[in-house]
Amino acid sequence: MRGLIIKDFLYLKNTWKNLVIIFIGSLLISIALGNYLLTICALPLILLTNTINTFQTDEFFNTDSYTLSLPLSRRQIITARYIYTFIMVITAFFVGLVLFYLIHFIIKPNHNGLNTDMLKYLIMLEGTSLLVDSIFYPVIYKVGCEKSRLVLLSIVMLLLGIGSILSVYINVFDKDFIDFVAIINFIQKNGVMVLSIVVTISIIISYFLSILFYKKRDF
Amino acid sequence: MNIEVKNLCKKFDEFELKDISINLPKGKIVGLIGENGAGKTTLIKCILNVMHKNSGEVILFNKEYTDSLKEDIGVVFDDSFINETFTIMDLNLIMKHIYKNWDSRLFFKYIKNFKLPKNKEIKKLSTGMKKKIEIATCIARHPKVLILDEPTSGLDPVMRSEVLDMFEDFVSNKENSILLSTHITSDLEHIADNVIFISNGSLVFDKPLKEVKESYIILELEKDEYKKFNKKEIIRVKKNRLDYQVLINKKSMKKEYNKYIKNITTLDDIMLLYIRGSVCED
Repeated sequence: MRGLIIKDFLYLKNTWKNLVIIFIGSLLISIALGNYLLTICALPLILLTNTINTFQTDEFFNTDSYTLSLPLSRRQIITARYIYTFIMVITAFFVGLVLFYLIHFIIKPNHNGLNTDMLKYLIMLEGTSLLVDSIFYPVIYKVGCEKSRLVLLSIVMLLLGIGSILSVYINVFDKDFIDFVAIINFIQKNGVMVLSIVVTISIIISYFLSILFYKKRDF
Repeated sequence: MNIEVKNLCKKFDEFELKDISINLPKGKIVGLIGENGAGKTTLIKCILNVMHKNSGEVILFNKEYTDSLKEDIGVVFDDSFINETFTIMDLNLIMKHIYKNWDSRLFFKYIKNFKLPKNKEIKKLSTGMKKKIEIATCIARHPKVLILDEPTSGLDPVMRSEVLDMFEDFVSNKENSILLSTHITSDLEHIADNVIFISNGSLVFDKPLKEVKESYIILELEKDEYKKFNKKEIIRVKKNRLDYQVLINKKSMKKEYNKYIKNITTLDDIMLLYIRGSVCED
């Protein structure tokens, strides 16, 4: 299993030039706009893209049959990918933290956009990355990377559609059915806690769904 | 036995692997032949649990199948390998963390013998070079069994001969064995002990190569001669523009048939008549 985690890190190593270019791009935009928040936010997003890209390149080079011929169970293959994702998210968090302190105390000490709330934003950003991954992974393991985009787009469209219909329904029949202001206030106050709970549940469900789907697939 | 497959069935919408039972004995090279889409790769994938079988049994090294038993199996697929953005150095690093018996020294010895660049991305190498890396990767883990799907495709004749010699060395300890699926049947004629022939998802035969070559004979008959021929003796017949090619069992051979014998009956000829020929109806 360690070999598979190393494989994903080697892929990251091989694509470091692209990652650095994207990061420098975000840094230049930040300097131009005078807001360094973008640079700090870019890092987890770059690493999130990388975890999804590992699936894409594996699919492009048709590695699934070979991976399954290794002396590893399907569960171990899935676990390796989830461990890699966790390591990436934790790394992105700490690098983001270092960047935050560098910018906050050295480069731009009086910058308004950066304050102690940054830590909260960083946690929420990493949590959201994990949440996206936890939705993506089982779909990829079920239908493959190419089809997963279509499936996820359909899910988003479906949710938007249901949301639109519900909002019309609620407006027509009972305007006070949901107190949106109270919900937003609650999220603002307890965002990190709410996200942590949602992400933890989502990751657990995602992991077991991925195993279930991958165990059934033929390559 | 190193591998036993019993009554294996795998169904797809438009294809079915039907009731396949085969053996891979210790110390033997077993050739797996059949037309494109006959089910050779499906059979290999079912043995390795890359595909799920619908029914049947796979026994590895006299034990019920478990994933960890694949530690002793080296695999070359026709169309699947590691992510090709990696270099040979990367590959060594990955494999030594996957296989307990991984031998970096042996791996790099093969890499040196094959004259392969260690730090170039695999995707930038030729098809033949990629095949050599796959072969080196599967032997460097000291397996007991090699399962090879088209391992010599893309190799030049000199390298093919070298690789075939490597395979013969591999089984020389009488414990190891090789299941070798290939379209280059001439390779099998040189090194295979047994031949498994699958056609359209069904097992045609699983016999020693010597027995296959001694069992069948191909006759070339003109139209009149074919009309007079005892049709009950014909296993398969193929009508050509000028003559008929007839596959018969050597036991049915009679002295008067000698003049019709095709010079050399090869595995290709037998396979071709089984696949493209038809059962003779009076």
